[in-house]
Amino acid sequence: MKKSGLSPILNYNINTPIVFVAIVLFFIIFTPNHLFIDLRNLASMGKLIPDLGIVALGVGMLMICGEFDLSIASLIPLCSYVFATFLMKGINPALALIILLPVGAALGFINGTIVVKTGLPSFIITLSTMMFWRGVVFILSRMAPISITKYIKPYPYFEKMLTGTIGRFPLQVIWFVGIAIILGILLHFTKFGNWIFATGSSKGAARAMGINTNMVKTTCYIIIGVLCAVVGTLQSVRLGSFFATQGVGFELKTIAAAVVGGTSLRGGVGSMLNIFLGILIIKIIENGLILMKVPVFGVEAFIGLAIILFVIINNFTQRQMT
Amino acid sequence: MNKPQKKNSKFLEYFFNINSLGTIGIFLVLIILLTFFTAGRNFMQPANIRNLLFFGSEFTIIVLGAGMLMIAGEFDLSVGSVLAFCSFVFVRLFAMGINPFIVTIMTLICGGVIGMINGLITTKGRILSFIATLGTMMFWRGITLLVSGGIIIPLDTSGFKFFTSAFIGKLGNFFSSQAIWLILFTVILGLILHRHRFGNWVFSTGDNEKAARSMAINTDKVKIICFIIVGLLVAFAAVIQTLRLGAFSSRVGTGWEFKVVAAAVVGGTSLRGGRGNMLGIFIGAFIIVVIENALVIARLPYEWTYVVFGIIILFSVILDLFIERSRKKVI
Amino acid sequence: MSSNESNSNSKELLRMAGINKYFGKVHALEDIDFKINETENVGLVGDNGAGKSTLIKIISGYHRAERGQIYFEGKKVRISSPKDSRALGIETVYQEQALAPDLSISRNVFMGREPATALGFLRKRVMDEESMDALKSIGLQLRSPNINISTLSGGEKQGVAIARAFHFEAKLVILDEPTMALSVKEVREVFNFVNQLKRKGIAVIFITHNLHHVFTISDRIVVLSHGKKLVDIKKKDTNVDELSEIIVRGTIG
Repeated sequence: MKKSGLSPILNYNINTPIVFVAIVLFFIIFTPNHLFIDLRNLASMGKLIPDLGIVALGVGMLMICGEFDLSIASLIPLCSYVFATFLMKGINPALALIILLPVGAALGFINGTIVVKTGLPSFIITLSTMMFWRGVVFILSRMAPISITKYIKPYPYFEKMLTGTIGRFPLQVIWFVGIAIILGILLHFTKFGNWIFATGSSKGAARAMGINTNMVKTTCYIIIGVLCAVVGTLQSVRLGSFFATQGVGFELKTIAAAVVGGTSLRGGVGSMLNIFLGILIIKIIENGLILMKVPVFGVEAFIGLAIILFVIINNFTQRQMT
Repeated sequence: MNKPQKKNSKFLEYFFNINSLGTIGIFLVLIILLTFFTAGRNFMQPANIRNLLFFGSEFTIIVLGAGMLMIAGEFDLSVGSVLAFCSFVFVRLFAMGINPFIVTIMTLICGGVIGMINGLITTKGRILSFIATLGTMMFWRGITLLVSGGIIIPLDTSGFKFFTSAFIGKLGNFFSSQAIWLILFTVILGLILHRHRFGNWVFSTGDNEKAARSMAINTDKVKIICFIIVGLLVAFAAVIQTLRLGAFSSRVGTGWEFKVVAAAVVGGTSLRGGRGNMLGIFIGAFIIVVIENALVIARLPYEWTYVVFGIIILFSVILDLFIERSRKKVI
Repeated sequence: MSSNESNSNSKELLRMAGINKYFGKVHALEDIDFKINETENVGLVGDNGAGKSTLIKIISGYHRAERGQIYFEGKKVRISSPKDSRALGIETVYQEQALAPDLSISRNVFMGREPATALGFLRKRVMDEESMDALKSIGLQLRSPNINISTLSGGEKQGVAIARAFHFEAKLVILDEPTMALSVKEVREVFNFVNQLKRKGIAVIFITHNLHHVFTISDRIVVLSHGKKLVDIKKKDTNVDELSEIIVRGTIG
């Protein structure tokens, strides 16, 4: 179902699925007692991966149109804080989530507008907004966590819908896959998706063809904002609390996932399926290494290395194709 | 504009580019404002200024190199992690009983090699530098934590008085060896950037890489050299910092990558490359250091620093944009 | 705007024989013979994809031909990089790639070839004086060598790039679409500069889409289409209408 679509089919990067299969096999074989494939491990991965994954899908899409967003690391806790605040005011959690979505969209809109109006490198712009919003979250919350379990308790269906399980199968996975499918269709089968590729590939050419590149970019930022709202909620419901340090480190990991997923840093190249696999690869490596008792620090080093290796590999294989 | 230019302004123009006047202005205004805001606390006291100069030297030395790299059109986000790694290398080698001067040189080589790796990945691997150094940043931070186990390792420099004073000794009430090194580096790099052939290559590479290439400038080599310079300066700063702290701590340098970029930007360096000047970079670094210091003195919670820095970067970046646009209108 | 009546007396400067260039399966240039004499001004014309850029890039060393020979001043040469091309005395002025906008005129003119002391420090005074001289000799009057390129008009920018070629005693200057996006007045300026080049005895290859421009400035016109040479004719032996007819027919046929 998550096909790579017609336009980029000739550019489909098969590195990613190959690596995905290789990594999975590796960890199945080499984790002690094959713990990797143990149902409990899979279930726990299923609960954790969507936190990063949902927003990484949006980040990857933005990278295809040629921009970056580092501020997600702060937008997630911010949205989580707003959600917790709504709950404390007695608002029904489902309603709170619905109101939160436009809030996330607005935050994304701010990012997008600054980026397109100034024309400055987006990673610096979103770096500053990331710092700004992080400061705001820290100040507003005074670094104190806010427990929300008692607000969720009266609404068991809400909690079940978001973080419940069918047997052992966590529902977050369904949300993750569902969003991946929706964004995948948007990216590969709609006119808008084509605009995204065009804008990333050559902004000048896209403009000349009458595509409103500013609108395309801003929309991608808005989508990310909405996804941050979703993740913020999902995460805090799962943890039972808001933490000011939610999402720290995500800004790098989402880029890593997109890059490992074959997204070109220059824009114009990428596929939702591969981004999806890229997310899985990053998280699987993290999980697998931990299971193999590799010290946590080693994982970070490895992800850094993975980013570099993948970009280099992608650069070279993509060049063979043209 | 037909008047013959006075000697003074000619000197300024040659060495600095008028941009830095704006930065100097901001700096002075800042000092005045901050003195008022922290009235009654210890901002302008000698003890604080001395502290400022100590810590500020370490940070600024790195910014000098990073700023030059940005003029060439690239970024190095790994500085904080490399700082920690070099600090670890220094402490380890020192503990092995090797002559401290040799240890310093070995640490510098280490930094230079890491810088070269960054440069090679960016140019030969054809990766955007900020992604490449994002990767190396994670890598070196991970390695440092891995080999050090995250603990603090103290440094015993008793018996090496000459050595330590060469790097962090005190001279009079305010001055210190660090300050001398800092001024030395600023002058050398400033001369290279503004009056040396290589500096012209740096500006050309950052401003229009295709033009530079077609003029047979080896832009890859230029960038790699800039990365190496950053690596060397980071290693040097690591030595100074470790001597000052008396220990290695695995958490040093966290968050520095962003502050370094902010400092260069505040100092008038364009994010696109091709524009900037060494004096401005120097002052920009000090502005960042002063702001952070003032926030601490004013007892503002640390969280406020994020807000402040975020706003500062945005502000100076947009300001820079306006200056650029208004200059284009003048013909 | 006088032009030399006939260049049959002047020596041959550059001759390309049987040039063939492939990009993968695409036959970008097919058996191209091209020559230009000293002090001659040749207009290279053709629609997009005709092969003009490719031919030029071979001359300036960015590409290498799969088949064919290049002779410069009578001797067979190998041009395998921009450095080789420049060493021969060939200067190419590309559109987007000529100048750095935030650098001064003086720094731009000497980009990559800065006069310096033994240690490498710039001889600023030499740079300033000589860049102003270079501008003057093509007829461009500008205030000071220290103003940034971004403050100049389109015509003045081309002037700086041409002055640069002039200063480094190029024997052959290639101008790639120099009049693109320029106003009528600026186009006039550029023509003046190009004529100065001619006066100094520098050969010029002038690439453009604009037949009227080519007729104003060039002595001879070469038309490329789909990688083949359609026409190689002296200006006086043809006119704009005839030429555009050939080009259009060439494109269909």
